[in-house]
Amino acid sequence: MREITLTDMERLGALDEADRTFQMTEEAFRAFYELTARPVRVYLARMTGDDRLADDLLQETYYRFLRANASFESDDHRRNYLYRIATNLIQDHRRKPFMEVPAAAIVEVPDAAAAAQAAERAARRLDLERAMKQLKPRERSLLWLAYAQGWSHEEIASTIGVKTASMKTMLHRARRRLVALLTPGERS
Amino acid sequence: MSSFDCPREQDVVNAVLAGAWPDRCDDSLVTHAAQCVTCQEVAQVSMLLHEDVDHARIDVIVPAAGQIWWRAAVRARLESTHAAARPMSWMHAITGAIVLGVFLAAITTVWPMLPGVINVIRAASLEVLPSPEVSRAIAGGLTQIAGLAIIVAAIMVVAPLALYFALSDD
Repeated sequence: MREITLTDMERLGALDEADRTFQMTEEAFRAFYELTARPVRVYLARMTGDDRLADDLLQETYYRFLRANASFESDDHRRNYLYRIATNLIQDHRRKPFMEVPAAAIVEVPDAAAAAQAAERAARRLDLERAMKQLKPRERSLLWLAYAQGWSHEEIASTIGVKTASMKTMLHRARRRLVALLTPGERS
Repeated sequence: MSSFDCPREQDVVNAVLAGAWPDRCDDSLVTHAAQCVTCQEVAQVSMLLHEDVDHARIDVIVPAAGQIWWRAAVRARLESTHAAARPMSWMHAITGAIVLGVFLAAITTVWPMLPGVINVIRAASLEVLPSPEVSRAIAGGLTQIAGLAIIVAAIMVVAPLALYFALSDD
């Protein structure tokens, strides 16, 4: 494919065109982005286990969202659509191995009690991370959307692209697996 | 409702995500959860994930909205430029094929007429020139030059086309 580059003037022109090319104005996008970017970024990072990949997928998710030829009935519908794009992108990358996300370092610990609490929380997060790693990508997505985002079963089903009844069964199975992995003595 | 499904499951999740579980939420919900295996599991998983999200949200750094918008706009422009360039390549290919076809058709038409034209020139030169040897030499030279001229013309037409397609990346 012949390489095509844009001049600075064309780049400026691209900004003028964007309002016509994309399905929402820049102002509306900014408001929507402020609401959704962080949770989507966390979702992508936790599902892929790769911060750099999550950054790339975040950009790709919003690009596809902006270029989507879709009309939305509500803000929830818009947000679900965004997550659907993100979920599809994660599934496209699911063949890649799940990589370890280093747990954030505990920088300052004021006293022994707080230190113990912080260590306990860090250990819990690490256990969760390890357990999540052993789940299938779809199971991770289901659990995250249901229990970290608080979505209804219907919303998750439409995002994942399955029937609600099937989704409930899958969610139940994923939850059971996660609980078993988190319970000492039941880990495989 | 199935055996693994509980109608109060969503209430438990909402309470956890609101940070109200278990102290600041409806007593009946806590009492229910104490007896419901599904809700116990849901509360356990939801609390862990909620804690993880809360922690991750503090650390996470996302690009500015304007930056995402700008990159998307430039990429959209680039993609539309690519899309616009595609029909141009097709037009070039079609034009090249037409030129080649016209040239070959012209050669096919002109070639059988060439001996006749040379004979006409020789007859004309016989009338003008005093010696038949000079006239024959001119006719022989013309036959050779005509063949050479056609080959040169063919190269002049075909070479730029071949060069264009060889150097074109599409």
